Amino acid sequence: MRNTTKRAYVLFALIAAFFGGLVFMAVSFVLNADAWASSRLNEHIYKYRQLATAGTIFDRDGKVLVETKDGERLYADDYTTRLATLHVVGDAQGYISTGVQTVFRSHLIGYNFVDGVYSAIKEGKGNDLKLTIDSDVSAAAYNALNGNKGTIAVYNYKTGATLCEVSAPSFDPENKPGDIDTDTSGKYDGIYLNRFLSGVFTPGSTFKVVTAVCAVENLPNIYKMTFNCTGKYKCGKNQYVICNGVHGKLNFERALNVSCNSAFAELATMLGTEKMTQTAKQLGFGTSVKVSGANTAKSYFDLSGAAKIDLGWAGIGQYTTLANPCHMLMIAGAIANGGQAVIPYVVETQTTLLPQTRSAINKNITMTAETAKKIKKLLRSNVENYYGDSRFPGLKMCGKTGSAEVEGKRSHAWFYGFSADSSFPYAIVVCLENGGIGYNDAVPAANKVLQALRNL
Amino acid sequence: MKKASAALREDRRRRKYRYVDRGFILLLLTIFQFFSCLPVVFEGGKFYAVNAVCFLGFTLFEWLYVAVMHLAFKKVNFELEFIAFFLSGIGMTLTASVSKSGHIKQLAAVIIGVVVYDILLWFLQDVKRVMAVRMPLAVFALCFLAGSFLLIRFAGSAINGAYNWLVIGGKLSVQPSEFVKIAFIFVGAASLDKLLTSKNIYLYIAFAVGCIGVLFLMRDFGTALIFFFTFLVIAFMRSGDIRSLLFICAGALLGAVLIIYFKPYVAQRFAAYRHVWENYDTSGYQQVRTLIYSVSGGLKGLGVGNGRLRYVAASTTDLVFGMVCEEFGMIVAFAIVISFAIITVYAIRTSRSAPSTFYSIAACSAAAMLLFQTCLNIFGITDILPLTGVTLPFVSQGGSSMICSWALFAFIKAADVRTYPKVFKTA
Repeated sequence: MRNTTKRAYVLFALIAAFFGGLVFMAVSFVLNADAWASSRLNEHIYKYRQLATAGTIFDRDGKVLVETKDGERLYADDYTTRLATLHVVGDAQGYISTGVQTVFRSHLIGYNFVDGVYSAIKEGKGNDLKLTIDSDVSAAAYNALNGNKGTIAVYNYKTGATLCEVSAPSFDPENKPGDIDTDTSGKYDGIYLNRFLSGVFTPGSTFKVVTAVCAVENLPNIYKMTFNCTGKYKCGKNQYVICNGVHGKLNFERALNVSCNSAFAELATMLGTEKMTQTAKQLGFGTSVKVSGANTAKSYFDLSGAAKIDLGWAGIGQYTTLANPCHMLMIAGAIANGGQAVIPYVVETQTTLLPQTRSAINKNITMTAETAKKIKKLLRSNVENYYGDSRFPGLKMCGKTGSAEVEGKRSHAWFYGFSADSSFPYAIVVCLENGGIGYNDAVPAANKVLQALRNL
Repeated sequence: MKKASAALREDRRRRKYRYVDRGFILLLLTIFQFFSCLPVVFEGGKFYAVNAVCFLGFTLFEWLYVAVMHLAFKKVNFELEFIAFFLSGIGMTLTASVSKSGHIKQLAAVIIGVVVYDILLWFLQDVKRVMAVRMPLAVFALCFLAGSFLLIRFAGSAINGAYNWLVIGGKLSVQPSEFVKIAFIFVGAASLDKLLTSKNIYLYIAFAVGCIGVLFLMRDFGTALIFFFTFLVIAFMRSGDIRSLLFICAGALLGAVLIIYFKPYVAQRFAAYRHVWENYDTSGYQQVRTLIYSVSGGLKGLGVGNGRLRYVAASTTDLVFGMVCEEFGMIVAFAIVISFAIITVYAIRTSRSAPSTFYSIAACSAAAMLLFQTCLNIFGITDILPLTGVTLPFVSQGGSSMICSWALFAFIKAADVRTYPKVFKTA
């Protein structure tokens, strides 16, 4: 009898296992609650797996970019605004994984562990979010893309507030084309990709700024050097880097102005693999940052095993080099901001998910104030002496174009730069995928967007 | 004299306090049930008279039961009954809110459960009587289970891949294994009580192997596991022989491996385990919904009728814990399952002073069975353990499960010294 009752204590092992399981359950509930409650399968929030019940997203002026009305998700009134802000706002199905609507969905649906989704089902909406995005500038940028694939983004290089972040191709979230998933013509290629954050493109001549940084920091007599452009630069036997023109004799500044491939290929081979790699790394190639919760794609620069000719091409942004537009915008920002690259952000509202988003410095981009000043001067010279200030009326722009050669297709037209006017502290990046020549196609697009911003 | 009267006064005070205590708990229970039934009775602004009557009937039944048991049968302790009423009440509210017509059936199941509980309590009073019926009961239970299986296998059909539902007359569905659970504890605790002959033990092992074997054939692996676990508890409490139990476990494990090797469909049923999110629309459907809607309810719950898990199959049966989380909140849900742990502690404690080892073993094994089943249920639907499709005692919808749960409570109650004052005195 006594033995029997003593043996009953073995049941405490079962009780302990039960409580162990219960604690495990409670902990996994607490840790995963946000993710589970905001799952697309949660029919309190989603209808037909599309976001239905969530808070409003406003642009910086309080214009509605998306809201829930009577259990339906309605987007901006203006058609162009809807297409221009699609990628930053995100789609209802969450295919655009970097969209605010997807990244911040647990905030938008108003979920919390104590009340669950109570406020969402009671009031038919969750918490609102205000963005730094300007819908008019975004619409202007969408129009400036002029039917090209690509991206245009503008941000305040002092605060990081992003005014537009447009990616094309785009679609109207209120009237999504039925053939998106079946089309084979390529017109919807990467439609769910925010090219600004997630795209990488051959940078072409825009990379010459990186080579210039390397030269300024490593060659003490760079400003006294002269280059002789014969239309090509010889890198080894029968191997040439072809130039975009025959520039003749020219100095460093002029070489950057006219974007002379011969001069920059020569500089790159002079600087060597090690120094070039070091500068690229120092400027943030191969690193990623979070832009309001969304990771950017990494820019790519790799010279391991590269021959002299490869180094020459890499120095002018070809070879295997790839650049992420957001990264290029931050490099422009760093040059404009005394070497400090501010990370862009799009969500103005402070949330528990991302408590501090403003004026965060990208530690992956290190540039001395001195270098920044020198490069800024060179980029100002580009506009003043070559592209022409008349092409950016009243803006005091600094920048660099690029026409990145792509195998078998039109080149990517690039422009990135910033206004040196401290009352207009904006940096811009334009990348028109297979859109032509930077000088001809990207510069006017950049100007249109900046003028739209200036004339607000 | 003075001392005696002081003691008398003390005793009277305590009795009064206990009396108030019982009434107070019952009142709290009634208030809770009243507020939780309102959304069901007045759903969508309409008034559902039948459901109102059912809720009223349940409340009256609770009060009458306690009053009659106390006044007519001089019962003093109702802890187990209160817990059972609380759990049954929550289950009934959710059942009624999902299916208005299921309410009457569920109420009937509770009342039958209470009747079975009291008959069993009366029966267990006499250990000699218990010993006398154990053999016939074992034979009957095994035949009933095997017969049901044959009937379902060859005349009925599989439900959710298992042959464990006996459909009578096209309307009434019975789960035979639930009733055999009662016999399993009864026979196990009784066989191994006084007559410690090897014949008894072998017979019990044969009975256990028979039951578990038929459950395997029925493909009701969850219940088979519950039986096996209960068998281990009973065998250990009787013999204290850990080595042979480890031997049995190893044998069982080997058997399980062989079964999975030769019958791959067994493993197939558990393939989604720890991969439910990858199979959210197929084999992980129920678990994923349970997780989503459990946390959607938050700590406080969305209120009865406001959930979404209710639209998922088996919401009021296997997944009822998730429904309680969503509609009553996680605090209530955790309280419910923790009550099974408290009952087990209670069973361990009362078994120490039980009048005979039969009561000790019966109480502990019944509590262990309930707690183990609770583990399989709540951890199965939340993907902490493989999903085996067993019910949550008292809370899940279903007559067989409800009646069995009440009957198991009778074994626990029987070990309490306050249950049979006379038996205790003579012991």
